[in-house]
Amino acid sequence: MRTRPLARLGRALVLTAMVVVAGLPLYWLVNTATSTNAELYGGGQSWLPHLERLPQVFEVFAQTPLLRWLGNSAVIAVGTTALSFAIAIFAGYAISRFRFHGRGLLSFGLFATQMLPEALVIVPMYAIFVTLGLINSMWGLILANTAFAMPVAVFIISTAMDKVPYEIEEAARVDGARRLTILGRIVLPLVVPSLAAAAVITFFDGWNEYLFASTFLQSQEKWTTSVGLASFIGEFVTPLPTVFSAALIFALPAVVFFLLVQRRIVGGLTAGSVKG
Amino acid sequence: MGLQMLQVDKHPIIDHTYITQRSGEMVPPTLAQESSRAQQRGARQGEHEPRRRRARLDVTPYVLSSAAALYLALFLVLPLGRGAWLSLTDTRLLNPTGGDFVGMQNYQDLLASGNLPQSLGLTVVYTAGTVLSAVLLGSAAALAVNATFKGRAIVRGILIAPWAVPAVAVSLIFSWMYNPDNGVLNRIVAGLGGDPQQWLVNPDLAMFAVIVASVWKVTPFVMLVVLAALQSVPEELLEAARIDGANAYVRLRAVVIPHVLPTIKIVSLLMTVWSIRRFEIIWLLTGGGPSNATNTLVINVFREAFQNSRLGSAAAIGIVGLMLSVAVTIVYFAAERRAGRDS
Repeated sequence: MRTRPLARLGRALVLTAMVVVAGLPLYWLVNTATSTNAELYGGGQSWLPHLERLPQVFEVFAQTPLLRWLGNSAVIAVGTTALSFAIAIFAGYAISRFRFHGRGLLSFGLFATQMLPEALVIVPMYAIFVTLGLINSMWGLILANTAFAMPVAVFIISTAMDKVPYEIEEAARVDGARRLTILGRIVLPLVVPSLAAAAVITFFDGWNEYLFASTFLQSQEKWTTSVGLASFIGEFVTPLPTVFSAALIFALPAVVFFLLVQRRIVGGLTAGSVKG
Repeated sequence: MGLQMLQVDKHPIIDHTYITQRSGEMVPPTLAQESSRAQQRGARQGEHEPRRRRARLDVTPYVLSSAAALYLALFLVLPLGRGAWLSLTDTRLLNPTGGDFVGMQNYQDLLASGNLPQSLGLTVVYTAGTVLSAVLLGSAAALAVNATFKGRAIVRGILIAPWAVPAVAVSLIFSWMYNPDNGVLNRIVAGLGGDPQQWLVNPDLAMFAVIVASVWKVTPFVMLVVLAALQSVPEELLEAARIDGANAYVRLRAVVIPHVLPTIKIVSLLMTVWSIRRFEIIWLLTGGGPSNATNTLVINVFREAFQNSRLGSAAAIGIVGLMLSVAVTIVYFAAERRAGRDS
């Protein structure tokens, strides 16, 4: 594409400013994790990170139960994704392909979960979970997270399916294929990039979630990383570089994993798959 | 009945895409479809259904969506009903099942004390500040990143990364950056010749500080969604405009913006309802303080329930927050429908 030099310079400036603003907090996360407490509180935090001290980041595993917390977060995140998908693929297909009584109500209900403050439902939910014996259980937390993650997956999946021409399915139907076969063999493969997008979003919902986890998980060994990290805030006993090391290790897989699939997310949200 | 409704298909004024063929019941557009309506009009999948299939009731969609419906009943309707009832009682945290019915007393008390109007106002300020900044910055970033240039993958990666950072980590990072004595922000301010500020302690600055942290985290989401829409702008249209001699600005206004506007609208709505209910970042940065300066409705609910032990009163605040979200959504879809009818 031809661009004028002035436009190119303008864009370079805008992009530089954005990269600095977006990158500074992440840079400072690494920088703080590789500092010492004396430097941080003596006003002497270096502008350049002490990358040679990077190994000190891993001392956090010996000083805190971080490894256990990460494992718990992963279990919650995978569970939330799996349960959300088990529900969302079918609901998304129904909403995209059928006109049925209650379809509008279902769509509205799914959207309503996005405006419901968790802080409001947490009290009644707590009561329900006590009755069902789901307090302090990973299963309870997965169930609660899915309530908010699954609707987003339905939106993404049904939008993607809207763009798959119905004629493709009709052709298969003429050949005698059943609905579920069509869904599994023809529709889902065409929306794989969107499924990846939905998976990333539901996974991080479970990985990042704090409010339910901090309320429902009471014993410290069941804590997720979010709850563990939050317990450091305002605590002042654990050295700040240790706390930031934990934050770095917690955030890093999320960021890396997301960046790996983001190309497919962007590709998936565009109609590219339909054209083929 | 089915045959009669098929007649409606030919009605020139009614937007056919929202009428169910079987019952004639109006189906509001789903959130997701709304964004792609413009491209899809006339190609609704439902209309491809062979007509004879409509004669008998097809149970397939009900079976397919039953799990989702059950989930909504258990995790949306049930807690919501319980919450609405709680708001009419004087239930306390220590005895969650033993409250007495007090009617509208909780709402009246919250209004009289000024707690509710203040909290509602703060929610509006927080939401407006966050959504406007995130949508503007996110759309601008998407436009800038959509072009080809050297190092685009790295730039895009850095711009997207904040969204993947867990909210608790965001709060941790920003609370240290905002630290009045040793925080990097005050070092930068001092370096530029300004006075160091008590970012999270000064009631005049706390809301701003909380909005900045929130915008930092949510803007990449806007960028990603808008970027996807930008990449689906038909190349033929852009090429045609270029051949007609349209410059970059005209192409942006006449081709690109109309194409991505539905997406920007829907992402703004999502950002709004998400901002109204955002909890972690505010709670972990300020806890609603200093002197209630960041006491949004959701924070207020949590404090009222778990610090003041008044579950009934907390539920009442929550209901008001929910009504705010519902109102925004209704206004949005009403405006969309009107716009759709006018065009």
